[in-house]
Amino acid sequence: MPGVVGLVVNPASGKDIRRLVASASVFDNREKLSIVRRAVLGAMAAGIDRFVYMPDCHGIVSAAVEDLVEDAVFERLPSPVTDSALDTTRAADRMRESGVGCVITLGGDGTNRAFAMGWRDPPLVAISTGTNNVFPEMVEGTIAGAAAGLVASGAVRSGEASRQVKTVHVSVDGEKDDLALIDAVLLDEAFVGARAIWSPVRLKTLVLARAEPAVVGMSAIGGLLHPLPDSVDGGLVVEAGPGGHVVTAPIAPGLYTEVPVRTFRQVGLGETVGVCGPGVLALDGERERRLKPGQSAGLTVRRDGPLVVDVQLVLKLAAARGLFRTAWSEGTNGN
Amino acid sequence: MTDIAADVLLDIHNRMVRIRTFEEEAGKLMESGKIPGALHLYVGEEAVAAGVMVHLRDSDQITSTHRGHGHLVAKGGDLQKMYAELFGRATGYCKGKGGSMHISDLDLGMLGANGIVGAGPPIAIGAAFSNKYRGTDDVTCCFFGDGASNEGTFHEAANMAALYKLPVIFVCENNGFGEFTRQERHQAIHDIADRAAGYGMPGIVVDGMDALAVYESAGEAIARARRGDGPTFLEYKTYRYFDHVGVRGMGVIYREDSEVLEWRQRDPIALMEARLAEQGLLSADGAAQVHEAALAEVREAIAFAEASPFPEPSALMEDIYTTAAGAGGAA
Repeated sequence: MPGVVGLVVNPASGKDIRRLVASASVFDNREKLSIVRRAVLGAMAAGIDRFVYMPDCHGIVSAAVEDLVEDAVFERLPSPVTDSALDTTRAADRMRESGVGCVITLGGDGTNRAFAMGWRDPPLVAISTGTNNVFPEMVEGTIAGAAAGLVASGAVRSGEASRQVKTVHVSVDGEKDDLALIDAVLLDEAFVGARAIWSPVRLKTLVLARAEPAVVGMSAIGGLLHPLPDSVDGGLVVEAGPGGHVVTAPIAPGLYTEVPVRTFRQVGLGETVGVCGPGVLALDGERERRLKPGQSAGLTVRRDGPLVVDVQLVLKLAAARGLFRTAWSEGTNGN
Repeated sequence: MTDIAADVLLDIHNRMVRIRTFEEEAGKLMESGKIPGALHLYVGEEAVAAGVMVHLRDSDQITSTHRGHGHLVAKGGDLQKMYAELFGRATGYCKGKGGSMHISDLDLGMLGANGIVGAGPPIAIGAAFSNKYRGTDDVTCCFFGDGASNEGTFHEAANMAALYKLPVIFVCENNGFGEFTRQERHQAIHDIADRAAGYGMPGIVVDGMDALAVYESAGEAIARARRGDGPTFLEYKTYRYFDHVGVRGMGVIYREDSEVLEWRQRDPIALMEARLAEQGLLSADGAAQVHEAALAEVREAIAFAEASPFPEPSALMEDIYTTAAGAGGAA
């Protein structure tokens, strides 16, 4: 069975205020279009001939494949386009019924968070085109597409080359629940505003599903104190403020800054950390929602996130199985 | 991330309400035939003008567009002189001889609305060059739309601004339409800020319906320019509720009413009022008072304008760049 690959491309990733307040790169949509095209060609080389994609107001996917429609089927999901993160969440939900065996996302942590809020089960190949990217990989589109194709077709089983990552569940008193894939942070802030975080001054409580020393963003603060990779169960809670360490951490691209940390501790999976408003909750590096004075929220690290495909491992398995080569011709040998 | 004092928040709200009120009343007067000529109204886009202008001082300049009333109201323009100009009266900003699309106020650094799409960018970089040459830390904000970003004038100005590291901020008000043409039918790209990198300046995309997102992003860009770090391209995704001209304008069908209603769900003034209420800074009664005060001020300006005289025919050749004889071509 050839399998179906899903495509979710966030047209808004890589364009926020961190191009001004830090040194983030601009990720223009022509480049995203090129990556999509390469990923599709990679998946087709792996035998895929059907793709399902999220519509976006930029028409990135449809433009990327306009001359490939004779060779494969490209099905546009009938989900509304609002030019917001809601598009990704809705498309993820609709993709659930479309027979997709693996999904390729283009975006940053926020894009993958939005996808996981709509559908958390499918194997994901997450290509980085965002700003703070802990979740997605910097990986060549061609290879990412091939890996997604191999997983979608079953040539490499998802269970062989993917792992289920951790999440931070957010339950807010009296309001709908939320989710983060890397970090949930309470800020002493009144407004969502331009969304990004580029100053340590307002940090209060950080709950990190991953504390990685070699990434950019909130995760790095914990990672430079007490590394806790995704492979290890549990989370790290960091209370910002004077009286303890001062960590020099890259909280945005090119922006190493001093972050005062009062305490930090590891928590187990399922252990809820309570925070209380007023403040703003930032999820995966973006200010998302306001907590009213006295409104409480619970932040819980769990291992119930998406299945993330190990692209390198998929291709190694493919090589070992001879999936990209013919059988030996008679009279030749492997030397 | 940016400290926003309560008085600044209230100031942004007040500027937005004054723009909305000015424009809604102007729209009624145009459609009833009391104001001659065409007005291009700014209703729906108030967060951009207010969120940018609250950072500026009188010595900072702006260049405006054919949809320019909101810019001058937000910059502190005199509503009576503005309305007098719309009515074509001698007490107006251009002594009644310019109309809506030529209002300027050099004392406020407002270098002019402009009837020519894309005319502002070259003027803006000229002003910015002057600021740099004179050694001031004044900046120039150049307002223009998605349609203007296709004009050669914009591209030449963007190139020079980046080349000479000029203190200019390109404020692109992308309302999704060039007159009656949807953006996807006049540009192959959706984020105009993508063009900034091609000229060697940073460009970002911001929600133009959220006054605080505008405030934060504009503040950073203006600070960059004042520091001498050069130009920035800010693209604000916004929407005009009214037609290209007037309120229901020329009756051209080019969008569904449902689309307008959808954008109105994220009305910038309503969003701001909800936030101010959450913060305990402005009650519903307080907000109503701001609207009432703005309406009273606008009605006073309209009364002033209607009571003002038309320019005398003898003033026809005044305030021009040549002599009467030269203008007539006679020796």
